[in-house]
Amino acid sequence: MALLEVHDLHKDFGGLKANEDISFSLEDGELVGLIGPNGAGKTTLFNCIAGLHPVTSGQIIFNGHNITKFNAHEVARLGLARTFQVYVATGDLTVLENVMVGCFMRTRSRSRAKSRAEQILKDFKLHNLSDYLLSELTVAAQKRVTMAAAVGTDPKMLLLDEVAGGLNPNEIEAIMATIRHIHHDLEITVMLIEHVMELVMKVSDRVIVLDSGRKISEGDPNTIARDTNVIKAYLGERYVREHAAELT
Amino acid sequence: MEALKNAFDFSDFPRIDLTIAALAALFLLTFPVFPHSSFAMATMIQFLMFSLYGMGWNTIGGYGGQVDLGKAQYVGIGAFTTSVMLIRWNVPFWVSMPMGMFFAVIWSFIIGYPLFRLKGHYFAIATIATSLVLKDIFEVWNFVGAARGLEISPIKFKPPDFLHLIFREDIYYYYVILGFFFLGIMYVNWFRRSRLGFQLRSIKDNEDIARSLGINVHWAKIKTYAIATAFVSLVGSFHACYIKNIEPEDTMSLDISILIALMAMLGGAGSLWGPIIGASILIPLKSYLKEWLGAQAGLVGIDLIIYGAIIMLVSAVEPRGIWGIVEKVRRRKRR
Repeated sequence: MALLEVHDLHKDFGGLKANEDISFSLEDGELVGLIGPNGAGKTTLFNCIAGLHPVTSGQIIFNGHNITKFNAHEVARLGLARTFQVYVATGDLTVLENVMVGCFMRTRSRSRAKSRAEQILKDFKLHNLSDYLLSELTVAAQKRVTMAAAVGTDPKMLLLDEVAGGLNPNEIEAIMATIRHIHHDLEITVMLIEHVMELVMKVSDRVIVLDSGRKISEGDPNTIARDTNVIKAYLGERYVREHAAELT
Repeated sequence: MEALKNAFDFSDFPRIDLTIAALAALFLLTFPVFPHSSFAMATMIQFLMFSLYGMGWNTIGGYGGQVDLGKAQYVGIGAFTTSVMLIRWNVPFWVSMPMGMFFAVIWSFIIGYPLFRLKGHYFAIATIATSLVLKDIFEVWNFVGAARGLEISPIKFKPPDFLHLIFREDIYYYYVILGFFFLGIMYVNWFRRSRLGFQLRSIKDNEDIARSLGINVHWAKIKTYAIATAFVSLVGSFHACYIKNIEPEDTMSLDISILIALMAMLGGAGSLWGPIIGASILIPLKSYLKEWLGAQAGLVGIDLIIYGAIIMLVSAVEPRGIWGIVEKVRRRKRR
Protein backbone atom coordinates (compact mmCIF):
# COMPACT_ATOMS: atom_id res chain seq x y z
CA MET A 1 0.00 0.00 0.00
CA ALA A 2 1.24 3.45 -0.84
CA LEU A 3 2.15 5.65 2.13
CA LEU A 4 1.12 8.88 0.42
CA GLU A 5 -1.34 9.21 -2.44
CA VAL A 6 -2.25 12.45 -4.13
CA HIS A 7 -5.22 12.35 -6.50
CA ASP A 8 -6.07 15.11 -9.01
CA LEU A 9 -4.87 17.87 -6.74
CA HIS A 10 -5.84 21.42 -7.74
CA LYS A 11 -4.83 24.57 -5.93
CA ASP A 12 -5.88 28.04 -7.10
CA PHE A 13 -4.87 31.37 -5.65
CA GLY A 14 -7.59 33.55 -7.13
CA GLY A 15 -6.92 33.40 -10.85
CA LEU A 16 -3.53 31.75 -10.49
CA LYS A 17 -3.51 27.99 -10.86
CA ALA A 18 -0.57 27.01 -8.67
CA ASN A 19 -1.21 23.28 -8.82
CA GLU A 20 -3.24 21.62 -11.56
CA ASP A 21 -4.32 18.03 -11.72
CA ILE A 22 -1.39 16.56 -9.86
CA SER A 23 -1.44 12.86 -9.01
CA PHE A 24 1.33 10.68 -7.68
CA SER A 25 2.02 8.22 -4.92
CA LEU A 26 4.91 7.33 -2.65
CA GLU A 27 5.67 3.86 -1.33
CA ASP A 28 6.79 3.35 2.24
CA GLY A 29 10.58 3.72 2.40
CA GLU A 30 11.08 5.64 -0.84
CA LEU A 31 13.15 8.77 -1.29
CA VAL A 32 11.56 10.93 -3.96
CA GLY A 33 12.83 14.19 -5.38
CA LEU A 34 10.50 16.96 -6.50
CA ILE A 35 12.07 19.32 -9.01
CA GLY A 36 10.97 22.02 -11.39
CA PRO A 37 11.83 25.59 -12.36
CA ASN A 38 11.04 28.48 -10.04
CA GLY A 39 7.31 29.05 -9.70
CA ALA A 40 6.44 25.51 -10.75
CA GLY A 41 4.31 25.03 -7.64
CA LYS A 42 6.57 22.74 -5.62
CA THR A 43 6.29 24.54 -2.29
CA THR A 44 2.55 25.05 -2.82
CA LEU A 45 2.22 21.30 -3.28
CA PHE A 46 4.08 20.74 0.01
CA ASN A 47 1.89 23.27 1.76
CA CYS A 48 -1.23 21.53 0.49
CA ILE A 49 -0.03 18.11 1.60
CA ALA A 50 1.09 19.41 4.99
CA GLY A 51 -2.25 21.13 5.61
CA LEU A 52 -0.99 24.70 5.52
CA HIS A 53 -3.09 25.57 2.46
CA PRO A 54 -6.63 24.32 1.94
CA VAL A 55 -6.76 22.52 -1.41
CA THR A 56 -9.19 23.64 -4.10
CA SER A 57 -10.05 20.11 -5.18
CA GLY A 58 -8.57 16.64 -5.13
CA GLN A 59 -7.66 14.17 -2.43
CA ILE A 60 -4.65 13.45 -0.29
CA ILE A 61 -4.39 10.09 1.45
CA PHE A 62 -1.64 9.52 3.99
CA ASN A 63 -1.13 6.12 5.59
CA GLY A 64 -4.77 5.22 4.95
CA HIS A 65 -6.18 8.50 6.33
CA ASN A 66 -7.84 11.05 4.12
CA ILE A 67 -5.93 14.17 5.20
CA THR A 68 -7.27 16.50 2.50
CA LYS A 69 -9.09 18.71 5.00
CA PHE A 70 -6.73 18.27 7.94
CA ASN A 71 -5.00 21.17 9.70
CA ALA A 72 -1.21 21.31 9.73
CA HIS A 73 -0.89 20.11 13.32
CA GLU A 74 -3.22 17.19 12.70
CA VAL A 75 -1.17 16.13 9.67
CA ALA A 76 2.00 16.36 11.77
CA ARG A 77 0.48 14.22 14.52
CA LEU A 78 -0.33 11.51 11.96
CA GLY A 79 3.39 11.30 11.22
CA LEU A 80 3.89 13.58 8.24
CA ALA A 81 6.49 16.22 9.13
CA ARG A 82 8.02 18.96 7.04
CA THR A 83 10.73 21.62 7.02
CA PHE A 84 10.59 25.10 5.57
CA GLN A 85 12.62 26.69 2.83
CA VAL A 86 13.09 30.04 4.54
CA TYR A 87 13.62 29.97 8.24
CA VAL A 88 13.76 33.30 10.00
CA ALA A 89 15.36 32.60 13.35
CA THR A 90 14.44 35.41 15.68
CA GLY A 91 13.34 33.51 18.75
CA ASP A 92 15.13 32.82 21.98
CA LEU A 93 14.97 29.03 21.65
CA THR A 94 18.34 27.30 21.62
CA VAL A 95 19.17 24.48 19.23
CA LEU A 96 18.37 21.88 21.88
CA GLU A 97 15.08 23.61 22.74
CA ASN A 98 14.08 23.78 19.08
CA VAL A 99 14.47 20.03 18.77
CA MET A 100 12.67 19.56 22.11
CA VAL A 101 9.62 21.36 20.69
CA GLY A 102 9.43 18.61 18.08
CA CYS A 103 9.94 15.88 20.67
CA PHE A 104 7.17 17.33 22.86
CA MET A 105 4.66 16.29 20.22
CA ARG A 106 4.87 12.68 21.40
CA THR A 107 5.42 13.18 25.11
CA ARG A 108 4.39 15.50 27.93
CA SER A 109 7.44 14.68 29.99
CA ARG A 110 10.20 17.26 29.86
CA SER A 111 12.95 14.80 30.76
CA ARG A 112 11.89 12.38 28.03
CA ALA A 113 11.68 15.16 25.43
CA LYS A 114 15.10 16.40 26.49
CA SER A 115 16.88 13.06 26.38
CA ARG A 116 15.35 12.28 22.99
CA ALA A 117 16.36 15.68 21.62
CA GLU A 118 19.90 15.14 22.87
CA GLN A 119 20.01 11.76 21.16
CA ILE A 120 18.79 13.22 17.85
CA LEU A 121 21.34 16.04 18.01
CA LYS A 122 24.07 13.48 18.61
CA ASP A 123 22.90 11.43 15.60
CA PHE A 124 22.85 14.59 13.50
CA LYS A 125 26.32 15.52 14.79
CA LEU A 126 24.96 18.81 16.10
CA HIS A 127 25.41 18.13 19.82
CA ASN A 128 28.26 20.60 20.21
CA LEU A 129 25.90 23.37 19.06
CA SER A 130 23.05 22.58 21.48
CA ASP A 131 23.32 25.76 23.55
CA TYR A 132 23.52 28.19 20.65
CA LEU A 133 20.62 30.26 19.39
CA LEU A 134 19.52 29.47 15.87
CA SER A 135 20.44 32.98 14.77
CA GLU A 136 24.05 32.32 15.78
CA LEU A 137 24.46 29.40 13.37
CA THR A 138 25.30 29.16 9.68
CA VAL A 139 22.40 28.62 7.27
CA ALA A 140 23.55 25.04 6.73
CA ALA A 141 23.50 24.27 10.43
CA GLN A 142 20.12 26.00 10.82
CA LYS A 143 18.65 23.77 8.14
CA ARG A 144 20.00 20.66 9.82
CA VAL A 145 18.48 21.83 13.12
CA THR A 146 15.06 22.26 11.53
CA MET A 147 15.42 18.76 10.08
CA ALA A 148 16.32 17.47 13.55
CA ALA A 149 13.26 19.22 15.04
CA ALA A 150 11.03 17.60 12.40
CA VAL A 151 12.58 14.20 13.13
CA GLY A 152 11.79 14.87 16.80
CA THR A 153 8.10 14.46 16.00
CA ASP A 154 8.89 10.84 15.12
CA PRO A 155 7.44 11.00 11.59
CA LYS A 156 6.78 8.22 9.11
CA MET A 157 7.42 10.64 6.31
CA LEU A 158 9.32 13.88 5.98
CA LEU A 159 8.88 16.65 3.42
CA LEU A 160 12.13 18.59 2.96
CA ASP A 161 11.81 21.97 1.27
CA GLU A 162 15.11 23.07 -0.31
CA VAL A 163 17.45 22.01 2.42
CA ALA A 164 20.54 22.52 0.27
CA GLY A 165 19.67 25.88 -1.32
CA GLY A 166 22.51 28.42 -1.13
CA LEU A 167 25.01 26.10 0.52
CA ASN A 168 28.63 25.45 -0.47
CA PRO A 169 29.81 22.00 -1.68
CA ASN A 170 31.07 20.92 1.77
CA GLU A 171 27.82 21.89 3.40
CA ILE A 172 25.89 20.05 0.70
CA GLU A 173 27.94 16.94 1.53
CA ALA A 174 26.91 17.27 5.18
CA ILE A 175 23.24 17.79 4.27
CA MET A 176 23.38 14.77 1.98
CA ALA A 177 24.76 12.66 4.82
CA THR A 178 21.94 13.92 7.05
CA ILE A 179 19.30 13.04 4.44
CA ARG A 180 20.79 9.58 4.04
CA HIS A 181 20.79 9.15 7.82
CA ILE A 182 17.11 10.11 8.00
CA HIS A 183 16.16 7.84 5.13
CA HIS A 184 18.43 4.90 5.73
CA ASP A 185 19.02 4.67 9.48
CA LEU A 186 15.77 6.15 10.73
CA GLU A 187 13.74 4.52 7.93
CA ILE A 188 11.71 7.63 7.26
CA THR A 189 10.16 8.06 3.83
CA VAL A 190 11.44 11.31 2.34
CA MET A 191 10.18 13.66 -0.32
CA LEU A 192 12.43 16.59 -1.09
CA ILE A 193 12.23 19.75 -3.13
CA GLU A 194 15.63 20.68 -4.42
CA HIS A 195 17.34 22.86 -6.98
CA VAL A 196 20.78 21.39 -6.38
CA MET A 197 20.65 18.71 -9.06
CA GLU A 198 23.72 16.75 -8.01
CA LEU A 199 22.01 16.16 -4.66
CA VAL A 200 18.62 15.17 -6.08
CA MET A 201 20.07 12.90 -8.71
CA LYS A 202 22.40 11.22 -6.23
CA VAL A 203 20.01 10.48 -3.41
CA SER A 204 16.59 10.04 -5.04
CA ASP A 205 15.05 6.70 -5.95
CA ARG A 206 12.59 8.51 -8.14
CA VAL A 207 12.06 12.09 -9.32
CA ILE A 208 8.82 13.97 -10.00
CA VAL A 209 9.01 17.06 -12.18
CA LEU A 210 6.58 19.98 -12.01
CA ASP A 211 6.31 22.86 -14.44
CA SER A 212 3.74 25.67 -14.33
CA GLY A 213 1.71 23.80 -11.76
CA ARG A 214 1.49 20.51 -13.67
CA LYS A 215 3.33 17.26 -13.34
CA ILE A 216 5.30 16.89 -16.57
CA SER A 217 7.40 13.85 -15.83
CA GLU A 218 8.16 11.15 -13.33
CA GLY A 219 10.74 8.38 -13.22
CA ASP A 220 14.19 7.36 -12.04
CA PRO A 221 16.85 10.07 -12.06
CA ASN A 222 18.61 8.85 -15.22
CA THR A 223 15.44 8.78 -17.31
CA ILE A 224 14.41 12.20 -16.04
CA ALA A 225 17.75 13.73 -16.99
CA ARG A 226 17.15 12.69 -20.61
CA ASP A 227 13.43 13.52 -20.76
CA THR A 228 12.82 16.18 -23.44
CA ASN A 229 9.86 17.64 -21.56
CA VAL A 230 12.05 18.24 -18.53
CA ILE A 231 14.86 19.76 -20.55
CA LYS A 232 12.33 21.98 -22.30
CA ALA A 233 11.01 23.19 -18.95
CA TYR A 234 14.47 24.06 -17.71
CA LEU A 235 16.26 25.24 -20.84
CA GLY A 236 13.47 26.32 -23.17
CA GLU A 237 11.99 24.98 -26.39
CA ARG A 238 14.66 26.49 -28.60
CA TYR A 239 17.45 24.64 -26.82
CA VAL A 240 15.65 21.34 -27.38
CA ARG A 241 15.12 22.11 -31.08
CA GLU A 242 18.74 23.12 -31.66
CA HIS A 243 20.20 20.19 -29.77
CA ALA A 244 17.74 17.60 -31.01
CA ALA A 245 20.49 15.40 -32.36
CA GLU A 246 22.44 15.15 -29.08
CA LEU A 247 19.37 14.55 -26.99
CA THR A 248 18.19 11.37 -28.63
CA MET B 1 5.50 14.35 40.24
CA GLU B 2 7.85 15.48 37.53
CA ALA B 3 5.91 18.73 37.32
CA LEU B 4 6.46 19.40 41.01
CA LYS B 5 10.15 18.64 40.66
CA ASN B 6 10.42 21.00 37.71
CA ALA B 7 8.68 23.79 39.63
CA PHE B 8 11.47 23.71 42.22
CA ASP B 9 14.26 23.22 39.71
CA PHE B 10 16.10 26.48 39.08
CA SER B 11 19.33 24.78 38.07
CA ASP B 12 19.52 26.41 34.63
CA PHE B 13 20.17 29.82 36.20
CA PRO B 14 23.74 30.84 37.01
CA ARG B 15 24.68 30.92 40.68
CA ILE B 16 24.76 34.73 40.81
CA ASP B 17 21.09 34.92 39.82
CA LEU B 18 20.11 32.45 42.49
CA THR B 19 22.14 34.30 45.12
CA ILE B 20 20.45 37.57 44.25
CA ALA B 21 17.05 35.86 44.19
CA ALA B 22 17.68 34.29 47.60
CA LEU B 23 18.73 37.64 49.07
CA ALA B 24 15.66 39.30 47.57
CA ALA B 25 13.43 36.57 49.00
CA LEU B 26 15.05 37.00 52.41
CA PHE B 27 14.45 40.73 52.22
CA LEU B 28 10.81 40.24 51.24
CA LEU B 29 10.26 37.77 54.08
CA THR B 30 11.79 40.04 56.71
CA PHE B 31 10.72 43.42 55.37
CA PRO B 32 7.84 44.00 57.84
CA VAL B 33 10.18 43.39 60.78
CA PHE B 34 12.20 46.47 59.97
CA PRO B 35 10.76 49.87 60.82
CA HIS B 36 8.83 51.17 57.83
CA SER B 37 6.25 53.78 56.95
CA SER B 38 2.73 52.77 55.95
CA PHE B 39 3.49 54.31 52.55
CA ALA B 40 6.43 51.91 52.11
CA MET B 41 4.24 48.99 53.17
CA ALA B 42 1.52 49.96 50.70
CA THR B 43 4.14 50.27 47.95
CA MET B 44 5.53 46.82 48.76
CA ILE B 45 2.07 45.25 48.59
CA GLN B 46 1.51 46.99 45.26
CA PHE B 47 4.86 45.68 44.08
CA LEU B 48 3.92 42.09 44.93
CA MET B 49 0.49 42.45 43.33
CA PHE B 50 1.85 43.88 40.13
CA SER B 51 4.63 41.28 40.02
CA LEU B 52 1.91 38.64 40.03
CA TYR B 53 -0.12 40.47 37.40
CA GLY B 54 3.04 40.70 35.33
CA MET B 55 3.85 37.01 35.79
CA GLY B 56 0.39 36.15 34.52
CA TRP B 57 0.71 38.50 31.56
CA ASN B 58 4.16 37.10 30.84
CA THR B 59 2.84 33.60 30.09
CA ILE B 60 0.80 34.68 27.08
CA GLY B 61 2.43 38.05 26.34
CA GLY B 62 6.05 37.19 27.03
CA TYR B 63 6.54 33.51 26.26
CA GLY B 64 3.77 33.49 23.66
CA GLY B 65 4.44 36.94 22.17
CA GLN B 66 0.72 37.82 22.12
CA VAL B 67 0.60 41.40 23.36
CA ASP B 68 -2.48 41.61 25.53
CA LEU B 69 -3.62 45.05 26.66
CA GLY B 70 -6.91 43.98 28.20
CA LYS B 71 -5.96 42.33 31.45
CA ALA B 72 -7.93 44.86 33.55
CA GLN B 73 -11.20 43.12 32.65
CA TYR B 74 -10.02 40.06 34.56
CA VAL B 75 -8.89 42.15 37.52
CA GLY B 76 -12.47 43.39 37.53
CA ILE B 77 -14.04 39.95 37.29
CA GLY B 78 -11.92 38.69 40.20
CA ALA B 79 -12.45 41.78 42.34
CA PHE B 80 -16.19 42.03 41.75
CA THR B 81 -16.82 38.31 42.23
CA THR B 82 -15.11 38.41 45.61
CA SER B 83 -16.80 41.68 46.65
CA VAL B 84 -20.29 40.68 45.57
CA MET B 85 -20.05 37.27 47.22
CA LEU B 86 -18.64 38.72 50.40
CA ILE B 87 -21.13 41.57 50.72
CA ARG B 88 -24.24 39.68 49.67
CA TRP B 89 -23.66 36.19 50.99
CA ASN B 90 -20.69 36.49 53.31
CA VAL B 91 -18.69 33.99 51.22
CA PRO B 92 -15.08 33.46 52.40
CA PHE B 93 -12.26 34.71 50.21
CA TRP B 94 -10.94 31.16 49.77
CA VAL B 95 -14.20 30.21 48.06
CA SER B 96 -14.92 33.41 46.15
CA MET B 97 -11.34 33.67 44.83
CA PRO B 98 -11.50 30.34 42.92
CA MET B 99 -15.02 31.25 41.81
CA GLY B 100 -13.71 34.53 40.42
CA MET B 101 -10.95 32.61 38.65
CA PHE B 102 -13.56 30.28 37.23
CA PHE B 103 -15.70 33.12 35.88
CA ALA B 104 -12.66 34.92 34.52
CA VAL B 105 -11.40 31.80 32.75
CA ILE B 106 -14.84 31.15 31.23
CA TRP B 107 -14.91 34.74 29.99
CA SER B 108 -11.37 34.37 28.66
CA PHE B 109 -12.45 31.35 26.60
CA ILE B 110 -15.44 33.24 25.22
CA ILE B 111 -13.40 36.19 24.04
CA GLY B 112 -10.13 34.30 23.46
CA TYR B 113 -11.66 31.98 20.90
CA PRO B 114 -12.49 34.69 18.35
CA LEU B 115 -9.68 37.07 19.40
CA PHE B 116 -6.88 34.63 18.68
CA ARG B 117 -7.92 34.58 15.06
CA LEU B 118 -6.27 38.00 15.04
CA LYS B 119 -2.55 38.64 15.12
CA GLY B 120 -0.12 41.30 16.30
CA HIS B 121 -1.49 44.81 16.70
CA TYR B 122 -5.01 43.73 15.78
CA PHE B 123 -5.04 41.32 18.67
CA ALA B 124 -3.74 43.99 21.06
CA ILE B 125 -6.39 46.48 19.98
CA ALA B 126 -9.17 43.89 20.26
CA THR B 127 -8.13 43.06 23.83
CA ILE B 128 -8.33 46.76 24.75
CA ALA B 129 -11.80 46.94 23.23
CA THR B 130 -13.20 43.90 25.06
CA SER B 131 -11.80 45.18 28.33
CA LEU B 132 -13.39 48.60 27.91
CA VAL B 133 -16.73 47.09 26.90
CA LEU B 134 -16.77 44.91 30.00
CA LYS B 135 -15.92 47.94 32.12
CA ASP B 136 -18.87 49.83 30.62
CA ILE B 137 -21.18 46.90 31.31
CA PHE B 138 -20.06 46.82 34.94
CA GLU B 139 -20.66 50.56 35.20
CA VAL B 140 -24.36 50.19 34.45
CA TRP B 141 -24.92 46.83 36.13
CA ASN B 142 -26.70 47.45 39.42
CA PHE B 143 -26.09 43.98 40.80
CA VAL B 144 -22.36 44.75 41.01
CA GLY B 145 -22.90 48.28 42.26
CA ALA B 146 -22.80 50.00 38.88
CA ALA B 147 -20.54 53.06 38.63
CA ARG B 148 -20.55 53.61 42.40
CA GLY B 149 -18.82 50.30 42.84
CA LEU B 150 -18.85 48.18 45.97
CA GLU B 151 -17.61 48.83 49.45
CA ILE B 152 -16.70 46.10 51.87
CA SER B 153 -17.47 47.36 55.34
CA PRO B 154 -14.96 45.91 57.81
CA ILE B 155 -17.34 46.52 60.72
CA LYS B 156 -19.16 43.26 60.02
CA PHE B 157 -15.98 41.30 60.54
CA LYS B 158 -13.67 40.77 63.45
CA PRO B 159 -10.18 41.41 62.10
CA PRO B 160 -7.91 39.63 61.69
CA ASP B 161 -10.35 37.48 59.73
CA PHE B 162 -8.27 35.02 57.75
CA LEU B 163 -11.31 33.35 56.26
CA HIS B 164 -12.64 36.47 54.60
CA LEU B 165 -9.24 38.13 54.34
CA ILE B 166 -10.29 41.24 56.27
CA PHE B 167 -7.47 42.72 58.31
CA ARG B 168 -6.82 46.02 59.99
CA GLU B 169 -3.03 45.92 59.66
CA ASP B 170 -1.37 45.76 56.26
CA ILE B 171 1.20 43.25 57.47
CA TYR B 172 -1.35 40.41 57.15
CA TYR B 173 -2.13 41.38 53.57
CA TYR B 174 1.57 41.57 52.93
CA TYR B 175 2.22 37.99 53.96
CA VAL B 176 -0.83 36.64 52.12
CA ILE B 177 0.22 38.25 48.83
CA LEU B 178 3.84 37.24 49.45
CA GLY B 179 2.68 33.62 49.68
CA PHE B 180 0.90 33.96 46.34
CA PHE B 181 4.00 35.65 44.95
CA PHE B 182 6.21 32.65 45.76
CA LEU B 183 3.58 30.25 44.43
CA GLY B 184 3.41 32.33 41.25
CA ILE B 185 7.17 32.07 40.73
CA MET B 186 7.00 28.30 41.20
CA TYR B 187 4.16 28.05 38.74
CA VAL B 188 5.86 30.12 36.04
CA ASN B 189 9.09 28.22 36.62
CA TRP B 190 7.19 25.03 35.88
CA PHE B 191 5.31 26.61 32.98
CA ARG B 192 8.33 27.91 31.10
CA ARG B 193 9.82 24.41 30.92
CA SER B 194 6.58 22.52 30.35
CA ARG B 195 5.30 21.30 27.02
CA LEU B 196 2.88 24.22 26.83
CA GLY B 197 5.70 26.67 27.57
CA PHE B 198 7.80 25.24 24.75
CA GLN B 199 4.82 25.30 22.41
CA LEU B 200 4.22 28.97 23.19
CA ARG B 201 7.85 29.91 22.61
CA SER B 202 7.77 28.06 19.31
CA ILE B 203 4.59 29.91 18.34
CA LYS B 204 6.24 33.22 19.15
CA ASP B 205 9.14 32.25 16.92
CA ASN B 206 7.15 31.15 13.86
CA GLU B 207 3.54 29.98 13.79
CA ASP B 208 3.81 27.93 10.59
CA ILE B 209 6.74 25.96 11.93
CA ALA B 210 4.96 25.50 15.26
CA ARG B 211 1.99 24.07 13.36
CA SER B 212 4.11 21.70 11.36
CA LEU B 213 5.62 20.40 14.61
CA GLY B 214 2.16 19.25 15.65
CA ILE B 215 1.18 22.24 17.78
CA ASN B 216 -2.46 23.31 17.75
CA VAL B 217 -1.56 26.99 17.74
CA HIS B 218 -5.04 28.39 18.37
CA TRP B 219 -5.75 26.07 21.28
CA ALA B 220 -2.31 26.56 22.86
CA LYS B 221 -2.88 30.32 22.86
CA ILE B 222 -6.36 30.01 24.37
CA LYS B 223 -5.10 27.69 27.11
CA THR B 224 -2.27 30.02 28.03
CA TYR B 225 -4.55 33.03 27.92
CA ALA B 226 -6.70 31.25 30.51
CA ILE B 227 -3.63 30.69 32.71
CA ALA B 228 -2.72 34.38 32.50
CA THR B 229 -6.32 35.22 33.30
CA ALA B 230 -6.37 33.01 36.40
CA PHE B 231 -3.31 34.83 37.77
CA VAL B 232 -4.83 38.24 37.17
CA SER B 233 -8.21 37.30 38.60
CA LEU B 234 -6.60 35.92 41.77
CA VAL B 235 -4.83 39.19 42.42
CA GLY B 236 -8.06 41.03 41.56
CA SER B 237 -9.85 39.11 44.31
CA PHE B 238 -7.07 39.97 46.72
CA HIS B 239 -7.24 43.60 45.61
CA ALA B 240 -10.95 43.73 46.53
CA CYS B 241 -10.29 42.58 50.10
CA TYR B 242 -7.24 44.78 50.46
CA ILE B 243 -8.66 48.03 49.07
CA LYS B 244 -12.23 47.25 50.24
CA ASN B 245 -13.69 49.82 47.88
CA ILE B 246 -13.72 49.01 44.20
CA GLU B 247 -15.19 50.84 41.24
CA PRO B 248 -15.06 49.77 37.60
CA GLU B 249 -13.36 53.07 36.77
CA ASP B 250 -10.37 52.20 38.99
CA THR B 251 -10.03 48.45 38.82
CA MET B 252 -10.85 47.97 35.16
CA SER B 253 -9.31 51.04 33.59
CA LEU B 254 -7.01 50.97 30.58
CA ASP B 255 -4.19 52.29 32.82
CA ILE B 256 -4.22 49.04 34.77
CA SER B 257 -4.09 46.95 31.60
CA ILE B 258 -1.14 48.92 30.28
CA LEU B 259 0.69 48.88 33.61
CA ILE B 260 0.31 45.09 33.78
CA ALA B 261 1.82 44.69 30.32
CA LEU B 262 4.52 47.22 31.14
CA MET B 263 5.81 45.26 34.16
CA ALA B 264 6.81 42.34 31.99
CA MET B 265 7.85 44.40 28.97
CA LEU B 266 10.25 46.61 30.88
CA GLY B 267 11.69 43.85 33.06
CA GLY B 268 11.93 41.31 30.28
CA ALA B 269 9.06 39.64 28.47
CA GLY B 270 9.50 35.89 28.25
CA SER B 271 11.77 35.50 31.25
CA LEU B 272 11.06 34.32 34.77
CA TRP B 273 12.48 37.34 36.59
CA GLY B 274 11.33 39.96 34.08
CA PRO B 275 7.96 40.93 35.59
CA ILE B 276 9.49 41.12 39.08
CA ILE B 277 12.30 43.38 37.89
CA GLY B 278 9.79 45.49 36.02
CA ALA B 279 7.51 45.83 39.02
CA SER B 280 10.39 46.66 41.33
CA ILE B 281 11.19 49.65 39.11
CA LEU B 282 7.75 50.74 38.00
CA ILE B 283 5.78 50.50 41.23
CA PRO B 284 8.01 52.79 43.31
CA LEU B 285 8.15 55.07 40.27
CA LYS B 286 4.38 55.01 39.96
CA SER B 287 3.84 55.75 43.65
CA TYR B 288 6.35 58.57 43.52
CA LEU B 289 4.92 60.06 40.35
CA LYS B 290 1.33 59.88 41.56
CA GLU B 291 1.87 61.00 45.16
CA TRP B 292 4.50 63.65 44.70
CA LEU B 293 4.73 64.97 41.20
CA GLY B 294 1.07 64.39 40.40
CA ALA B 295 -0.59 65.62 43.55
CA GLN B 296 1.87 68.19 44.88
CA ALA B 297 3.40 69.75 41.81
CA GLY B 298 0.12 69.59 39.94
CA LEU B 299 1.63 67.64 37.07
CA VAL B 300 -1.37 65.39 36.61
CA GLY B 301 -0.89 62.82 33.89
CA ILE B 302 2.90 62.87 33.97
CA ASP B 303 2.89 59.18 34.92
CA LEU B 304 1.16 58.34 31.64
CA ILE B 305 3.74 60.31 29.68
CA ILE B 306 6.53 58.41 31.37
CA TYR B 307 4.88 55.02 30.74
CA GLY B 308 4.57 55.96 27.08
CA ALA B 309 8.23 56.88 26.95
CA ILE B 310 9.17 53.55 28.55
CA ILE B 311 7.15 51.59 25.99
CA MET B 312 8.90 53.43 23.16
CA LEU B 313 12.32 53.00 24.73
CA VAL B 314 11.88 49.28 25.31
CA SER B 315 10.63 48.54 21.81
CA ALA B 316 13.36 50.63 20.20
CA VAL B 317 16.37 49.53 22.28
CA GLU B 318 15.71 45.96 23.40
CA PRO B 319 12.29 44.35 22.89
CA ARG B 320 13.15 41.80 25.51
CA GLY B 321 13.56 44.43 28.20
CA ILE B 322 16.14 44.66 30.96
CA TRP B 323 16.53 40.91 31.21
CA GLY B 324 17.10 40.81 27.46
CA ILE B 325 20.09 43.13 27.91
CA VAL B 326 21.47 40.97 30.75
CA GLU B 327 21.20 37.85 28.61
CA LYS B 328 22.79 39.53 25.63
CA VAL B 329 25.80 40.60 27.68
CA ARG B 330 26.12 37.09 29.13
CA ARG B 331 26.00 35.49 25.70
CA ARG B 332 28.70 37.80 24.44
CA LYS B 333 30.91 37.02 27.43
CA ARG B 334 30.54 33.29 26.92
CA ARG B 335 31.70 33.39 23.32
